[in-house]
Formats: sequence, structure tokens, C-alpha cells
Amino acid sequence: MIRTLFALKLRLFRNGPHNERAFSLVTGLVLAALVIAGASLTADGVIHEGWIAVAFTVWGGMWLFGPLAQPRHDPSVISREWLRGYPLGSWRPAWALSWTELLGVGPLITLACLSSLVVLAAPGGMAAVAAAVAAVVAQLYLLIWAGKTVAALAAWLLQTRAGMTLAAVQTAIMLALSFAGWVLVAAWLLPRLGEGDTALVIPRAGQLPEPVIDVLAAWPTGWGYGAALAARDGAGTGPVLLPLAALLALGALSQLCWIALTARALSRPPRRASSRRPSVPGRGLSLPFATPQVAAVVSRELATWLRDPARGVELRSAWLTPLLMALIIAFTDWSWALPLVGPAAAVFGAMVAINTYALDGTALWQLLTTPGALKADVHGRMAAWALLFGLPSIALAAVLWAATGSPLGGAAVGGAIAAAAAGCAGAPLLALVMPAVGTDARDRIYPGQQAGDPTGGQMTIFPVALLAAILPGVIGGPWWVTALVAVLLAAAVLGMTPAITVRLLQQRGTHLLDAMASRDAAALRSSARAES
Amino acid sequence: MQDPWISAIEVADLTQRFGAVLAVDRLSLSIPPGMFYGIVGPNGAGKTTTLMAMCGLREPTSGSIKIAGHDLRTDREAALAQLGIMMDGLSLPERLTATEILRYSAGLRGLDDGWRARAGDLLEILGLDAVPRTLIVEYSTGMRKKINLALAMLHRPRVLVLDEPFEAIDPVSAHSIEQVLRQYVDGGGTVVLSSHIMDFVERNCRRVAVVAGGRVLVEGPVEEVAAGSTLNERFVELVGADPVRPLEWLA
Repeated sequence: MIRTLFALKLRLFRNGPHNERAFSLVTGLVLAALVIAGASLTADGVIHEGWIAVAFTVWGGMWLFGPLAQPRHDPSVISREWLRGYPLGSWRPAWALSWTELLGVGPLITLACLSSLVVLAAPGGMAAVAAAVAAVVAQLYLLIWAGKTVAALAAWLLQTRAGMTLAAVQTAIMLALSFAGWVLVAAWLLPRLGEGDTALVIPRAGQLPEPVIDVLAAWPTGWGYGAALAARDGAGTGPVLLPLAALLALGALSQLCWIALTARALSRPPRRASSRRPSVPGRGLSLPFATPQVAAVVSRELATWLRDPARGVELRSAWLTPLLMALIIAFTDWSWALPLVGPAAAVFGAMVAINTYALDGTALWQLLTTPGALKADVHGRMAAWALLFGLPSIALAAVLWAATGSPLGGAAVGGAIAAAAAGCAGAPLLALVMPAVGTDARDRIYPGQQAGDPTGGQMTIFPVALLAAILPGVIGGPWWVTALVAVLLAAAVLGMTPAITVRLLQQRGTHLLDAMASRDAAALRSSARAES
Repeated sequence: MQDPWISAIEVADLTQRFGAVLAVDRLSLSIPPGMFYGIVGPNGAGKTTTLMAMCGLREPTSGSIKIAGHDLRTDREAALAQLGIMMDGLSLPERLTATEILRYSAGLRGLDDGWRARAGDLLEILGLDAVPRTLIVEYSTGMRKKINLALAMLHRPRVLVLDEPFEAIDPVSAHSIEQVLRQYVDGGGTVVLSSHIMDFVERNCRRVAVVAGGRVLVEGPVEEVAAGSTLNERFVELVGADPVRPLEWLA
């Protein structure tokens, strides 16, 4: 069975999409080469070997936290659904599947990175190299199975409402650290920047403090590193064999956990997470300045944002991220930067609303067959976005400006207005132009199912919304000039973009429906080519 | 009351290509108003493709479609306003309840307050009022068919286009849907449906088109098409069924 599943996975790799895998392979190999190069420089003392421990910690962290950062994705290549119907029990296929998990880009690039252990141990002679090779294998074994087990646990958790919240919190922590983690360092280097003082506090670099290295080496991600160094330094068999045995034991335990979780998934049909239901069926929404058609779409959008599991995770992470960023900034001397969290919230709101058409899936047919519905839909999506993300972002910037009295407050509010306009108008447009088609809405029960990977759209709207956020502040002048620029920019974006979106929807709507019915975005690309 | 001289749906030389595959080949149909009209054919015959083109959900490669005299290409909004549509296998706004989705649909179409009474009637007759808090995503196949039918009928369209309305649903649900459709046709509406259930087509439809390979093999009053046999026998005869050789390993 193992051979059959290996052959199946190889075929799936061969016939499946290659872009993302090729990108990961090249990027991973480049990073691994950097670690190996760093390891080779430690012998001459150019780089302290403690930095290699840092690299292993980060690399191991990617295995552990990577699956949590993308809660929308089911990482398995061989679907559990395909095996559920065979009369094989659940443990046997789970055991066989576990070995196919070793086949992939992740294990390959990690093997390349870990080979730096051999480089580290090389000065110790052949015995040290042999021990380092064993450390590479043992460390790889642990990282793979720890990562796979975390991914399987995340997939299991995502079938529950509590798991969805957990996933949103984890995503928000990752994003907040990515976007605001640097503030901790920057505030340390430039503690008086808010007062206009650009004097740099230069830290002592080059060698990491010994206790830090000890801590990193004590974590499971550093056990292989510890064993290789012990072998190089001739520290005896105990310090070499003990971490290797621990790596193998923990790895085996993780593999067993993964097999148990997979066997459990194979032995029962997918669990249906109970959606949040209305306590009473919702009333219609009456909005000022909105036609009944637009108000109907706004009601639908608000209900969907609150009840759809995939959108729910995005909504929560989009709001938790700026709040956590504010928390990080509040711990530093850079409280003057707090109002900037407002425009950041608008940018995150735009990023999570980038795939709404694909998430709604083939429900588009109703809009395509209702007179006048396409225009109402675009305007309704924009209005709902403004209520959920846009206006609160502007309010957040204003409140933090009032609370901190920051000199950047005016620019932050202006930036929030411009970024909110860019997100409000840009998200439906990009959702239409770059849909990440996944499982259709009717079959999507929990966010772990393939809901489409909108990374391309997110990476497109991010610089657009960021540029809009920065522009009013860059133009400068008194606060009213900044506000005027922001309002004019917002008016221009909100005035022009929806018309383009409606027109594109009218032109490409049926092709988008085809793409979503067939789960193949190529149908949309071919229609775009035909139009051009 | 509909104009008896204007076809409910007029399809002329409809052709639909998917790359090298010719799904519909110069298909023409003229569906008179005020009747049940059945389209039957084997899997892959082009029924759903034809119905999707009729509803404006697919741009035909060539040919024209008119709904109650309105050309779908040049007068799309007026044509769509005549239609109620129930397509098989497509999503709805899945996170709404039955009442919410009907309210949404009424709002989207800008209907007057009369929709509330009609929605109440439809939910009651189709048995959906018993699950007021259940979201569409949690519906069974039969419940989906029913809510789709309620959505299709809410705005009192002149023509209903139904794709496989009785597939995979229980006899009780099928009975209630059939009763509602009969009332609709008795009131002057036109129902165009595709189905594999010959018994239903024979019992209810006044005219039928047998489609295979993207073409109309025969079209006319059901009795004429059946030509003295049952519609099912005539269908198999027209479409052709390969003999099935005995499988020894099944003995």
C-alpha cells in the first residue's frame, strides 16, 4: 500500500499545478544555501555559530507555525475522502499515508538546510561528520512530524467554532508580529524618534549572548545542533547520543499522533461545524441613502461575514491583527505611532475581503439572472465592507490620535480615509479580476477545506491600499490639507472604481460562474484574453 | 395573461462549443406560453447547457434566444425579468435562512410588499417553515430544490426554467413541487423543465423535445412523440441503447 500511495502522490505532483511548489523549492533552497554558507563561515570565526542555532529555530518555527498561518488550507495532497470507502480499516492506510508525507518540497529544503550541521561538525573529523549526518536525519524526522502533527491538529480544530477563533488568533499573532514586530527593534534603536531625535542607539552585534544560545539549543529545534557540536568538540557519546535519541523518540511520538489523527479522520465522515445561526431569522436592513437592492445585498453580506466560517476567520484575524499591533506598539516608547494602526486596519480589511466572489461561488448565478442586481451587488459589497472595516478603521485612527496626541494623528486619519476608500472600492474589483477559486460555497462547511488561496490578490491590494494610506501624509502640510487630500483621493477612487467593477462583472460574469462551477480559474483567464 | 402569439421561449440555431467539443448544435425550439414543456435526453445531451443559455448564464457561441419576445442578447434585462430559474447544483447565498433568502431576493428585485404573503405561502406549502433557523448550507438536496423553487416563483415570472427539478428528492417533496407547478401552469404560466423522470414528463407536459448530441431528435405533443409506446420506451428507441453483454463474473 505504501508503494501505491507513493506512486499516487508522485502522479499528483506531476499532473498538479507546479507554480507554488517551484517557488517554494527555489526560495527554500536559496535560504538553505545561506544557512550552509553561514555554517561554513563559522569555522573562521566570521560568523558566530550561535546564529546557526537561530536559523534552525526559525526554520523549525516555520514547520510548527506555518500550517497555522494559513488556516484556509488543507495541506494534504492525497485526500482522505479517496481512502474512506475502501475496506481497509483506518490505521493501515493512515500508517501508509504517513510515509508519503515525507515526499514533498518541505522535507527536501529542510534536509538541505540541516546539512549545514555536517559543515559545522566537519572540523571534528570523520566520526563527528557521521554523528552530524545522524543528527540531520533525526532532526529532519522530528521537524517533519512535529509540523505534520500541528497541521493535522489545526485541521481538526478548524472543524469547530472554537478552533476557528483559535486559528484567527494565531493568524493575527503571526501577522501582528510580522508587521509590528520590527517596532520593538526600531523603538530600541531610535527611542526618541517621536520627538524628532534620530540619534541611533547602536547595539553590540556579532556574538549572541551565551544564555540565548543555550536556550535555543535546549529547544527541540536545537537538539541536532547540540549533538553535532558535541561530536565536533569530542564531548563523549552521552551529549551526542542523548539528543539524537530524544529527537527520534519525540519524532516517533509525533508520527504516532499524526497517524492517530489521520485514522480518526478516515474512520468517520467530515464533521460539520455548526454555523452560527440567527436567534430569530434576521430582519431586513434599512440603510439611509441606499436603494432596497443595495440594502438587500448589505444584509446578505453582513450575515455572510458573521456566519461563513472562512470569512469569519478572516474577519476576526483582520481585526485582531491591528489590535495586537497596537498592543505591541504600546509596550514601546513609540506611542506616537499608535494612530497608524487605523490605516493598518483598513489595509488588513482590504486584504481579507479580496476573495468574496470566489467564496460565494456559484451563487453568482442569481445575480447574473436578476435585472439590475450586478450594480447593486458591487455597491452592497462596498457598503458592507465600509461598515465592517472602513468606518471603524477611520474611527480607530481618530480615537488613538485623541488618546496619544500624536503629531502623526492627522496623517493617520487621512491615511485611514484613503486606505479605506482603496479597500472599499478595490476589494470587489480584485475579487472579480483575481478570484482564488476553491470549494463551492454549498460544499464548504469549515475553513480548513480548500477555499482557494487568495495570496496573489492580497499581495496586489496590499501595496495599493498601503500607497493610498501613505499618500496624504507624504504630501504633508497642515492637518486640513492632509484631510483634504485624503477626501479627494477617496472621492476619486470611490467615484471611478465601482463603475469599472460593474462593467467587468457584466462582461465576465458568466465566465466567472463557469470558472467557479468547474473550479478552474483558467476559464476566466481565457475569457479575459478573448476580450483583449 | 400572456400573449398567445408570442412564444414563451424561442431558441433559434443555438450552438454552444467548449473548445473542440460541440455541446449544442444549431438547436431550435419554440415553446408556446401557458404549458408544461419537457426537455429530455441522455446525460451529456446538452439539456443543461441549453437551459443555462436560455437563462443568460452562458453566452452561446451562436444563435439567438428570446424570452416572451425579448432578445436575451439585446434586451437582456427585460428578458430576464420574465424568468424564474431553478438550476441544479449551483450555490445560493448559503449562510441565510429560507426567510432571509426570500427577503434578499425580494429586495434585490425591488418587489412590493406583496412578496411577504407569497413567501409565507411558498414556505408553508413546500414545508420549509418548519426549519426557520436552518441555514441553506445545512439543507438536504430536497430542501434545496424547494427553496430554489420558492425563489424562482417569488416574483411571479411568466416563464419558469427548471433544471432537473425532481432529481434526488423524495416522493412527498416531488408531489408538493408538482402540485405547485400545476397551479402555476393553470394560472397561465409556462414551465420549461429538463428531467430524466419520463413518468412525470408524460403525466404533466403537453409538449416534449428529445435531445441527444446537442440536437433535437424529435419535438411535439407528448402523445405524438411517444407514438403509441410509453415515453420511456420511445426515448430508449430514439436515443438508442447498446445491448449489455452478460458479465460472467456476476453469475
